[in-house]
Amino acid sequence: MLKESLISEFQKIVGKDNVLTSPEALKAYSYDGTTSWVHEPDVVIFPTSTDEVSRIMKLANAEKIPVTPRGGGTNVSGGSVPWHGGVVLVMTKFNQILKVDKENLTATVEPGVVLQDLTLRLAKEGLFFPPDPQSFLGATMGGIISENAGGPAGVKYGVTKQYVLGVEVVLPSGEVIHLGGRTLKNVVGYDLLHIFISSEGTLGVITKAELKLNPLPQARKTLCVVYDDVSIAGEGVFRVLENGVIPCKIEMVDNWVINRIEEMMPIGLPKDADACLFFEVDGIPEVVEKEAQKIAEITKQYGAKEARIAPNMDEANKYWLARRAGFAAVFGKAKQVFAEDVTVPRGNIPKFVKKIRELAKKYDVEIVVLGHAGDGNLHPAVLTDPANKDHYERALKAVDEIIESAAVEFGGVLSGEHGIGLEKQKFMRKVTEPAVINMMKGIKALIDPNNIMNPGKIWE
Amino acid sequence: MKDLKELKKIEEFSNQCMKCGFCSFFCPVYQEEKMETSVARGKNYLVKQVLAGKQEFTHEMADIIGKCLLCKRCAANCPAKTQIDRVVVAARAQLVKEKGLGAIKNFAFRKVMADRKAFGKYARLMQKFQWMMPTTEGKIKHLPDFVKGLGKRNFPSLAKTFLRDQIKPVYKPQNGEKPKMRVGFFMGCATDFVYPELGLKLIDFLTRHGVEVVVPEDQNCCGAAIYFSGDLETGRMLADLNIKAYKDLNVDYIVTACATCSSTLKDYQKYLPDTEEQKERYTEFEKKIKDSTEFVIDILKIPPEEFKLRKEFEGKTVTWHDPCHLVRYQNIKDQPRVILKALKGIKYVEMPNADMCCGMGGSFSVYHYDLTKKIAGKKMDGIKATGADIVVTACPGCMINLIDNVLLNKMPQKVHHFLELVE
Repeated sequence: MLKESLISEFQKIVGKDNVLTSPEALKAYSYDGTTSWVHEPDVVIFPTSTDEVSRIMKLANAEKIPVTPRGGGTNVSGGSVPWHGGVVLVMTKFNQILKVDKENLTATVEPGVVLQDLTLRLAKEGLFFPPDPQSFLGATMGGIISENAGGPAGVKYGVTKQYVLGVEVVLPSGEVIHLGGRTLKNVVGYDLLHIFISSEGTLGVITKAELKLNPLPQARKTLCVVYDDVSIAGEGVFRVLENGVIPCKIEMVDNWVINRIEEMMPIGLPKDADACLFFEVDGIPEVVEKEAQKIAEITKQYGAKEARIAPNMDEANKYWLARRAGFAAVFGKAKQVFAEDVTVPRGNIPKFVKKIRELAKKYDVEIVVLGHAGDGNLHPAVLTDPANKDHYERALKAVDEIIESAAVEFGGVLSGEHGIGLEKQKFMRKVTEPAVINMMKGIKALIDPNNIMNPGKIWE
Repeated sequence: MKDLKELKKIEEFSNQCMKCGFCSFFCPVYQEEKMETSVARGKNYLVKQVLAGKQEFTHEMADIIGKCLLCKRCAANCPAKTQIDRVVVAARAQLVKEKGLGAIKNFAFRKVMADRKAFGKYARLMQKFQWMMPTTEGKIKHLPDFVKGLGKRNFPSLAKTFLRDQIKPVYKPQNGEKPKMRVGFFMGCATDFVYPELGLKLIDFLTRHGVEVVVPEDQNCCGAAIYFSGDLETGRMLADLNIKAYKDLNVDYIVTACATCSSTLKDYQKYLPDTEEQKERYTEFEKKIKDSTEFVIDILKIPPEEFKLRKEFEGKTVTWHDPCHLVRYQNIKDQPRVILKALKGIKYVEMPNADMCCGMGGSFSVYHYDLTKKIAGKKMDGIKATGADIVVTACPGCMINLIDNVLLNKMPQKVHHFLELVE
């Protein structure tokens, strides 16, 4: 519990309506997009300006009260859960798109702007922000930057860090700083901007961002490529790339997921296929046509059973709807799902999916694959039920081994786009060199000596 | 252990939510308030906390589950297919069970709306005194200045003669031939008291197309406002009365001009059953119910050339507003558009946010009128963008709210039911 006097100080800063302390509100801000990480804050505050954030931080710092910034709360790592209580700083009302600059292909946004709102606004100007975390309907820009989010488009366009030119940050002391700038090139001293990107809210509060944009591609084309063997599908991914086509998305669904999707919304995916790859190419219409045909040729040459080029947008949309439904299909089928975020170098995808299959057999648990194959970010998901102790134990062991094999055996990382938060801490400690963790701690201590910014996360 | 019977019924739906938060994008209330307690994910989480014995039905909790339009945009777009509308209705039902309805709702639902005769009597009384209300324009009135505190709300006058007082029990096909179908007409309260001409138009349209229409006198309010507020008991009573009213009439279908009524009658089986027997009976009843838009296109299969425009609408540009109770509750999206596009002499323009809730939400607009106006404001932006002269819809509830907000925003558009456009 916080002192009454402190609550009224917060109220003076943001107004009474923007400070919540009811048990219901505290419960509603105790979770994020994960299943099992829950902790209530002591107070929920909605700032709407940099100045308000700065004044809140000064107060919190003086009182050494934890502050956890939060946007749409769509993250899947426990990152925005206020693990040590204190303040949840909700940025959803701090949400203006300040500027769209067509000449420089940039946009200036406040942290609470929802990605989909930005996308719709930019589309009017013929522009887009390429990183596409699949939480785009709820995820806010502050969170997207703090988590360095990515999505299917990563294969061609990369992830958030490649599209942030500068940020305004309120430090735990309340001081306001500006990192990066508005230019494409910028080598003025240490690249501190990129320490804040993916810092998961542990260093400061992002209050403004300058984003790099691309012109919206004129055309898109989608393919559904069918495989008898998931490993051959994995190979298809890099064969297409090495033969000179860079699709904007390459997504994989395995047999289990295909069948769940077909149960939920029959769209005619081949139920007997071991896996399907969904490709999307985008760009100039003539090029897109050619690229789609080329993908069909290459994948068939390398063992695909069938390559369907979607004849129109309706069919294309069906495939992407199915792909998006895949995640829900998985979650709907088990009491608990460990949705892993491991990422391997693309060349190792075939070996890695084979390994996943072996582990499923070894531990006798369902492990399904639906992920961004194009960048090696496969999202294997282990299905289990905490009530079935024996099964749960086996599932945990399978998770351990998936992460270990991905990160060690196949030269990958334990998280590609979700971040560490609370969910991946124990693995982070396992696979990260102690000196690296110490360096992170040192940076944290320098910027946040009182450890008030989103404490309890990442390496703890 | 507390009896959480109503919540237990929907526990499985509640557990489907995987907390992805996509609902926030689709929720009209969240889009205004930007708070987790406004959105489906937050409400569902709190309901789960009640189920787990960690949350009581406090005042605030009652407010939170009250502040939902039941527009179903979240449910329609939920990747996990969580039926949040059922969770909200069940939570309201649980609340009513624990805390009662409150004096006002108790009187309105149980003493007035649930009793057709009493409802008519009170409506007539109001009708007699409505001359005291200042006129906004035409048949639209607003509250007098001295109660401006309640907002300058515009609403249509109650009709001089209610539909019940001018309707006949049976209407034969106008061509004098043997009817090709026999349907029951369900009038609904808004059509009865505010828009009686809609009912007569529907009957005229049907009988001109060879249908015999019967109108049982003992039909009642559909119960929407009642059961969506959590008074399932009165809802069941009305369901039983309405089922009984049509039981021995030997009708092929039951048709209504009100989207909310058609969806409410269809959904007795979803929200109300307490026993298997009720479930079966309500499901049986559902099969007969057709909204007017759906009936003329899917059942009567009236070809486009047979839809004739009424003269006064010639040369107008029209747009369509999807009532929540049509587009999401009944999945009726194409039929009204087919009708409007078939009408020669008008130009049809699609509204950018056609399926967005108008903000009415039945009693929601009584308790949260400021929010209703903000949500309707976005609807108005969509209407303006079409450049249409006429907004067409098929729900008297939407009509009342759209008229209010068109006037509040000083817009030139007129609001009509599709039945008013066709000859």
